[in-house]
Amino acid sequence: MSSGSESRSDAPSLLETRGLVKEFGGLVATDDVSIDVKRGERVSVIGPNGAGKSTLINLITRRLDPTAGDIVFKGDSIVNLKPHQVVQRGISKSFQTASIFPDLTVMENAEIAALAAENGEFGFNFLTHRDKLTSVHELAENTLESVGLLSRAGTTAADLPYGDKRRLEIGIALAAEPDLLLMDEPTAGMSPEETQATVDLIEEVKEELGLTFVLVEHDMEIVFSVSDRIVVLNRGRVIAEGTPDEIRGNPDVQEAYLGGVEL
Amino acid sequence: MSDPNTTSDGGTVVADESLVSRWERIREREATVVGLTAIAVALFPWLFARAPVVSDVLLGYQSLATLILIWGIFAVGFDLLLGYTGLLSFGHAAFWGGAAYAAGVVANNVSADPIVMVVSGTLFAVLLAWLLGFLSLRRGGIYFSILTLAFAQMLYYMSAAPLAFLTGGENGLTGITVTPLFGLFHLESDLPTFAGELLGTWLYLFVGVFAVLAVAAAYRILNSPYGMVFRAIRENEQRAEFVGLNVWRYKLMAFIISGAFAGVAGSLFTIHGSYVPLQSLYWTESGEIVIMSVLGGTASLFGPIIGAGLYLYVENIVSGVQQLTVPFTDIVLVNDFGTYWHLLLGLVFVVVIWVAPRGIWGAISDVREFVWDRVGGDRR
Repeated sequence: MSSGSESRSDAPSLLETRGLVKEFGGLVATDDVSIDVKRGERVSVIGPNGAGKSTLINLITRRLDPTAGDIVFKGDSIVNLKPHQVVQRGISKSFQTASIFPDLTVMENAEIAALAAENGEFGFNFLTHRDKLTSVHELAENTLESVGLLSRAGTTAADLPYGDKRRLEIGIALAAEPDLLLMDEPTAGMSPEETQATVDLIEEVKEELGLTFVLVEHDMEIVFSVSDRIVVLNRGRVIAEGTPDEIRGNPDVQEAYLGGVEL
Repeated sequence: MSDPNTTSDGGTVVADESLVSRWERIREREATVVGLTAIAVALFPWLFARAPVVSDVLLGYQSLATLILIWGIFAVGFDLLLGYTGLLSFGHAAFWGGAAYAAGVVANNVSADPIVMVVSGTLFAVLLAWLLGFLSLRRGGIYFSILTLAFAQMLYYMSAAPLAFLTGGENGLTGITVTPLFGLFHLESDLPTFAGELLGTWLYLFVGVFAVLAVAAAYRILNSPYGMVFRAIRENEQRAEFVGLNVWRYKLMAFIISGAFAGVAGSLFTIHGSYVPLQSLYWTESGEIVIMSVLGGTASLFGPIIGAGLYLYVENIVSGVQQLTVPFTDIVLVNDFGTYWHLLLGLVFVVVIWVAPRGIWGAISDVREFVWDRVGGDRR
């Protein structure tokens, strides 16, 4: 896992998008988006529906090819990489839905991700017994402990309550040992208690692992409580950027995104 | 931590070691699985073809026992792809028949040594699986199935006409005389003394060794990282990719590995029959292996072997039954019963899938789990 948090202001960029454009036919989903995420920073991307948040995430994870622009991670362009290679470089994604392996046990779910982290994208080890891969098992165990699911290790993932499935999903993303974690609406569809538990989890991960993350979220309360910096998108463009306090008081944001509602 | 139940003991349930749970752990061990398989393979032909009473009821015979093992090897490999990786190939006749032809062509032109035949047939199947997998796996779901079907049918037509000089065309490949194993043992002759009574022929021993090796290899693969990755791909391919796995290459490996099993089986089929029928490349063979696997139970190691056994049993034994009588009497229930074997097989299939969607092996597992629960066994 990545270590410690450096001082943010002079920390090097971990992820940078440079003039990112994505067009679907005539529609411009992402229009010249340049964001800069420093190592150890917690950045939230907010914006109304259709603002281009999901497109931005999909571009970074390489599910979509940009029409123009570049994505630089740890100093290298990742625009020509495949999705799994991006993960191997250190960008992991937590999905909007509980994207898990339902028929496998909780432990196996974590082990899959740990295997990819420890073993690389592919190996010819089809005659190696799994018990020999102790580092994979240890990493999976540590990850489950950090998301509070170790006591359910033997449970079939499909049998978990929804909140725990989401935690497992975040656990899978963490077990890939990322430098940067992309979280796509981590509390979507959760009850208030589950939402609170997830916020606690994010806070904890943030403290313990010093992870850099980019959060896409609708729930303003979460965004304002966990972010160092907020990027506001509207119609594919960055319309504002700043600390939670700055964003809270920004009239443009209130007009475009919050519809003039006082926060 | 918001989950107060989290303990530091690694989550492992420290259960009191009941006899049942200890047996459960032993049963999971590799040596046990392989050992039990070897015993089952050794007892099978005797029970099936020679044992008093049992064999009289079953009406089995030696050569069918051999054939069941051969298809069993095929089915084990096929299930790695269908049951575990979740890829339905409808063209595995290409590897079964392709290997059968390769082994036969090598036998007729180079060497008819049984080991050479198996090696060359399997090698051919692996290369073919590499190529066809590379082309077919570009698409998912039904498109993948159709692509595999199309490629296998192309091979069928190739060997029917353009390659007839090599394959014997419509007549199949004839004139194969398999030489003795290690230059010493005639495969069709009986094993000496006690071994002959138990196993029957050298051919059965030869095939049986491959069957046990196939089970051992499949078991090891399923317990390797691959087993986990295959199931992950089946469960959620996109997620598997987004944890950083090269899903495409793992799928290709699953396809090649299952092609290798089909190759071993196909080569043995040529040795078993000293003949390669053109039909071995036909799409019906691809269909049969799907039915066998589903009937026996996909995503299990032994289910597909049982499915293969049941299928071949109905096809070869039941089809020969003239009159169905009430057991131990002369009361005739149905005349010309055997001619309805296709219908019977269909009925068996429908009933099994209705009653036990996870196939015969799934039903066995359910019953076992039920009984285990009753006697206080501790799963996990």
